[in-house]
Amino acid sequence: MTEKLTISFTVNGMEEKREVPPHQTLLKFIREELKLTGTKEGCEVGECGACMVLLDNIPVNSCLVLAAELDGKELVTIEGLAKNGELDRVQKAFIDHAAFQCGYCTPGMIISARALLERNPNPTDEDISAALSGNLCRCGAYQEIRQAIKACSK
Amino acid sequence: MPAFTYQKCSDLSQAMKWLAEDKDTFLLAGGTDLLVGIRGGKFKARQVADIKDIEELKILKEDQKGITIGAGVTLNEIAQFEPVQKNVPILAEGCNSIGTYSVRNRATLVGNICNASPAADTAAPLYCLGAIVKIAGPGGERQVGIEDFFTGPGQSALKAGELVTAILIPKPYPQGKGVYKKASRTRSVDLATVGVAVQRWGQEVRIALGAVAPTPVRASSVEKAINEENVTDAAQAASLVEKDISPISDLRGSREYRYHISKVLVRRGLEETEEVCS
Repeated sequence: MTEKLTISFTVNGMEEKREVPPHQTLLKFIREELKLTGTKEGCEVGECGACMVLLDNIPVNSCLVLAAELDGKELVTIEGLAKNGELDRVQKAFIDHAAFQCGYCTPGMIISARALLERNPNPTDEDISAALSGNLCRCGAYQEIRQAIKACSK
Repeated sequence: MPAFTYQKCSDLSQAMKWLAEDKDTFLLAGGTDLLVGIRGGKFKARQVADIKDIEELKILKEDQKGITIGAGVTLNEIAQFEPVQKNVPILAEGCNSIGTYSVRNRATLVGNICNASPAADTAAPLYCLGAIVKIAGPGGERQVGIEDFFTGPGQSALKAGELVTAILIPKPYPQGKGVYKKASRTRSVDLATVGVAVQRWGQEVRIALGAVAPTPVRASSVEKAINEENVTDAAQAASLVEKDISPISDLRGSREYRYHISKVLVRRGLEETEEVCS
């Protein structure tokens, strides 16, 4: 059996130290060890974006990252966006624009949207399509998602 | 996920040590192909050596030799690098046509090349740019031209214990205009059914195709017609591409379709870059 590795990291602003199996994906670690189940498992091959998280502020598919790679890094999941019980403005905009039906893709969508608005506060339709190219919505709420992101732009 | 051990490498010699110790060691840079491959059983990894944070593999610079892109540099970093956008935009186009934005935040150019898929989207642009592959191994360092690096489907010129440290886009760049045309079943995420890169500068053209032969290939017949035989009609020149390719049928397209679409994309690439000839 392979030995566990010790990793130190920050998750949603909290410092943590954990032991992880070397072959565990970041997605499994987030859901089953950190118990943060807002991050969803979809395709597990990096196509659907339901597992999107911010790793050192960059959106990545957590199914394509090993938990071991989290060592020394900063992780933000959907649970980390609300502050003091108050939803983040992108979360509010998704509610205001009904930018979902079943909601399974929503955490990933919001993570990608947040990262886009950080690097580009006033994205065009094309910028939004490019930035969210890795997030699939099987309910087809794309127009509402686009409107919600536009409402957050400056 | 099948079990394996994980080694974080802080320098190149460590990575080479792990490669030498166990032939079932796989290098992890972006991981976007590796982890999918391990999970799906394509790669039987006993050990994964993480090279992405090795300082010397994070090089992305332009100097008098050209543009150097280290093995740890992601596709988004390359596509956003000003000297790439300014001097060799065809490479940015190739990088941007892979996967999705979030995949490109992890995936690397060197990883794309080392998988040696005949359909690698960055390969055709790199063929057009005459890229040089820098390799380190137990025998020291060596360089091979990108066209000698690909040797077959999933096969490269890398020998046991060797790894690619960087890709060099050498100066002088083929200034002019380059385009990468990709036919695929969907606009994002999918691999190329056919990929065509056309780079023109002055009266010269260089053309390369992906997914139509065991490795990416140059369209030598088309190039010769234009560069040496003064053929100016794009459709006439493009029709010669059938001599340069040997496509197969698979789930993305039939052999006949690939012959057809190769001609179409080469013609379009020639038409879209025609302006630099006048």
